[in-house]
Amino acid sequence: MAHEIFFEDITVGMEMPRLVKGPMHKLQHVIYAGASGDFNPLHTDDDFAKTVGMPKGAIAHGMLVMGFVGQAITTWIPKKYLKRFGVRFAGMTMQGNTITVTGKVVDKKSSGGLNLITCEVMAADENGDVKVTGSFDAALPSRG
Amino acid sequence: MADHAKVGKEYAPVTWEVERGKIRELAKAIGDPNPIFQDREAAVKEGYRDTPAPATFLTVPMMWSTSMPFVINDLAINFMMVLHGEEEYEYFQEIYPGDTITATPKVTSIEEKTSKSGRKMDMVTIELVYTNQKGEKVARARSLLVERK
Repeated sequence: MAHEIFFEDITVGMEMPRLVKGPMHKLQHVIYAGASGDFNPLHTDDDFAKTVGMPKGAIAHGMLVMGFVGQAITTWIPKKYLKRFGVRFAGMTMQGNTITVTGKVVDKKSSGGLNLITCEVMAADENGDVKVTGSFDAALPSRG
Repeated sequence: MADHAKVGKEYAPVTWEVERGKIRELAKAIGDPNPIFQDREAAVKEGYRDTPAPATFLTVPMMWSTSMPFVINDLAINFMMVLHGEEEYEYFQEIYPGDTITATPKVTSIEEKTSKSGRKMDMVTIELVYTNQKGEKVARARSLLVERK
């Protein structure tokens, strides 16, 4: 049975199931560097990161944290329904941070034959410091 | 500081052959256990032709092709002072293993802004529209880079 979600199942204000990631470890930055091709030493070399003002050493790639948000979204809404996904990088993710991704439906409308929902999303650490804010649009099937 | 004269400039196309292993590797690096990214059969059951590229996959061709570092260098942005401000994707079609996708990076705007603390920054927007081997539009990517001055 395929994972399915219908337009009728969604209401404005509904929360996306939360996703908890971490605690962050430098090994994951190294694996992500290899996967993504972003080898900026800011993410993998503690000594380098300290010289450019990061007191706790190497910080996570912003795109890794966006990847966490993408994971949260496509665990809930099948990837094939995702139409737009955008984020603003608001804060640095340090080693040891536990990242929680949350989201909420802010709009729902039928337009041009599509059943569209818009959700706001956010990733924050254990202290509530925000790392990423953003939103996505998805076009969902109808039960009708 | 970013070279403001280069707004509108287009760069050499990024061309990328999408491999199944690279899709799986990105999902694993994120720690996303969704089987659609790992296993063709699981993906087909969920209505895909094959294992689809994850939502943030388009960072892979940008970084592995070294297009982004090239653009940053050409714009005379200080690599040590650049931050990734925003990233946005629009999805028109799934990207699958075996696809060859291509896009032309374009600098769509460069604006100087002043932060709350009074620091000047250049905000550089780069856009790419990816097409596949059939010439079909598959996605649009927009990156905002922030250069602290």
